Amino acid sequence: MAAKHSALSLKILAECPVTKARACEMKLPHALVKTPVFMPVGTQGSLKGLVPDQLRDLDCRIILGNTYHLGHRPGPELLEKAGGLHSFMKWDRALLTDSGGFQMVSLLKLAEITEEGVKFQSPHDGSEMLLTPEHSIEIQNAIGADIIMQLDDVVSSTVSGPRVEEAMHRTIRWLDRCITAHKRPHDQNIFPIVQGGLDENLRRQCAKELIKRDVPGFAIGGLSGGESKEHFWRMVTVSTDELPNSKPRYLMGVGFAVDLVVCVALGCDMFDCVFPTRTARFGCALVRTGQLNLKTKLFAKDFRPIDGDCKCSTCAKYTRAYLHTVATNETVACTLLTVHNVAYQMSLMLAMHTSIIEQRFPECVQKFFEDMFPEKNYPDWAVKALASVNIVLK
Amino acid sequence: MKFSVEKLVQGSCRLGVLRDVGKLKNQTVETPFCLLYTRGGSVPNLSNDTLGYVQDLPPVALMPLNVLAEHHETVQEYGKGIAEFTVMKDFLVCCTMQDPCTAAPSGYNDKTSVALWGRSGKMKVDPELFVKVQEAFQPDWFQCLGDADTCKTSSKKRTKKAVDNTLNFLDEILSKRKSSQTLQKMALFGSIGGGFSQFERERSAKETVARNVEGFALEGFQNDGEEFCQFGDKDFVDILSLTLKHLPEDKPRMMCAVLRPDVVLQAVRAGIDIFDTSYAYAATEKGHALVFDYNYHTPSEEVKDSDETKMSTPATESGFTINLGDKKYRDDFGPLLAGCKCFTCKTNTRAYINHLNNVTELQQGILLMIHNLHHYLGFFSALRQSLREDKFDQLEALIAQQKPHSPDR
Repeated sequence: MAAKHSALSLKILAECPVTKARACEMKLPHALVKTPVFMPVGTQGSLKGLVPDQLRDLDCRIILGNTYHLGHRPGPELLEKAGGLHSFMKWDRALLTDSGGFQMVSLLKLAEITEEGVKFQSPHDGSEMLLTPEHSIEIQNAIGADIIMQLDDVVSSTVSGPRVEEAMHRTIRWLDRCITAHKRPHDQNIFPIVQGGLDENLRRQCAKELIKRDVPGFAIGGLSGGESKEHFWRMVTVSTDELPNSKPRYLMGVGFAVDLVVCVALGCDMFDCVFPTRTARFGCALVRTGQLNLKTKLFAKDFRPIDGDCKCSTCAKYTRAYLHTVATNETVACTLLTVHNVAYQMSLMLAMHTSIIEQRFPECVQKFFEDMFPEKNYPDWAVKALASVNIVLK
Repeated sequence: MKFSVEKLVQGSCRLGVLRDVGKLKNQTVETPFCLLYTRGGSVPNLSNDTLGYVQDLPPVALMPLNVLAEHHETVQEYGKGIAEFTVMKDFLVCCTMQDPCTAAPSGYNDKTSVALWGRSGKMKVDPELFVKVQEAFQPDWFQCLGDADTCKTSSKKRTKKAVDNTLNFLDEILSKRKSSQTLQKMALFGSIGGGFSQFERERSAKETVARNVEGFALEGFQNDGEEFCQFGDKDFVDILSLTLKHLPEDKPRMMCAVLRPDVVLQAVRAGIDIFDTSYAYAATEKGHALVFDYNYHTPSEEVKDSDETKMSTPATESGFTINLGDKKYRDDFGPLLAGCKCFTCKTNTRAYINHLNNVTELQQGILLMIHNLHHYLGFFSALRQSLREDKFDQLEALIAQQKPHSPDR
């Protein structure tokens, strides 16, 4: 069923006949996005170390902003005055914002969750504040991202017991409050979030409830927070099984290459993670075989580019040896490595997109794992996860 | 390298031309001009891509040796010189000793070597190592090994020692240069020091002139890496003018330092030809944007089609810069400088940069560096124009009007 108020349309270009992977075109108010897609994180209205032109040059179509940070600085009033975050940060392509709830729980020790919302002490003046579903949506409406997230009741993925079930039910109740509060359904797409901890039944139950709502897409949340990989992939696959084919599925907080490849096979379309850009700032470059820590002496006299096959502007011009001299010493190193790492993520996603269209996704997965694990010491969970969608790694 | 003064304005301001500099065989460089300041081989905050957003860059990059010298073995093995190693091969390279923006700890130079402070601490550079570094880096021109560890309050003894050391190093480098083909291809600038001692300055100038150098690097005025506020004072202007009187007309004089526009004009009046863009970086580091007006034409004589120079003076503020960290820019949706044609001003607002400042985002440094470079280079272009048009006085008066009340603007 197409959403009544939708500013999103998903065109499935091809489905992998073997796995649950699919290649789509997702039309958003500010961009046409090819999926599977990785969305770099620009937490505070800037992707650290890059100007928007560089993201455009990397063919990046959608990035993330964090509601918790943006709601605090510059704040919704200023963003509204600026005409929204797109205009404020001069990014004319698509944006996605989270609800702010995750940061509240992960950054603030004193957060307390009640039916009303997330109660927390302001880290700035110590005063007690409350983030309600309505307030989260109000801020996200001011930010104006193409995709916004419901406020969910986030429980650490290592917690179990009745708290998890409570959070799942509350997440559904909060979704309804969010949908009611949402003032811009014509140009902003709200995604609910599948919760349910590491309990298969709760996940299924949650997803079944969410899909009754008229929403343009779905997210899978509460994962990638320290749970075992075995649990992780099972929860992902359970969730994608329940979610409708016709709508995009966003797996929150996932961005390691291996996880991306496996979860695309399990049917996820969208991903975000600070890892590729954060690791860049620490001097690490992502490559087919893993990562290079350019700080180490190993690269002092290595006059090759990070990756000879990479098409990014850093690889076109800079040697590992030069990057070694500036990594973590000069801010320009952040720029250079961030450009490369974003390019790496983009090209990995594009390779999957293309292989799905060309009906050779399983081969693409096999090749990826061979490059990453030349000794064939594949992680056990990945082998199992892929086997569950009919890819048996050689 | 060949240099000639094309026009002498008001007795001491030199409008000149550099020819035959390194790779730039058929290209000339008009002076006074700015070297493009770099750190660790890159313009601070800017990659090759983002540097490309700045128009009309100078043809020569300034590469202070302090953080680079420790990589000389790598660059030697690389074999193609420092310009290519740092992805700055579109530029000529001038290697100097100390970074104009970084304080070098005082008290570590001696008769045999000069201390350079890089990432891994102190590196003692003696003439032999210095030659090795230059042979590896293959710059188009370089400043001779020298001891510039003096300032206004340095003792007589320290000042004399610095001059002695510098002259001895120059003799050693000149003698080593005879047997190095690589070094012979590069232009060599002798360092002129002597702190604020008239006697030592004259001695340093006369002795250096007597040796075979292609130009002169004026230094030893300050050793703390700060913005040269004291450059504004009379003692500095006097000692600089006096020193420069001893230099031949047909050789260029370079002074690399963080120089405010009013001080640049004083130095031009004293007879300096070559500067650098470290002021643009120093301002960027503070979260400041250069906004001073350098359009010295009165409205009736404004050059047509040159919107670039039609800039509004920031009415509410004195000083050459505005501080983007200031709360008052929170909801200021104007560009850094009205009418500015730089990449940053074309799309970004003061409010956005104020936000980036508040949350210490790296992009602030990129956007400000682009604007500040653009503006400082534009100022130099106006400066040359003013000399050509005999309107240096007007530019001076305009800049003087905007002189800040507090020294940090």
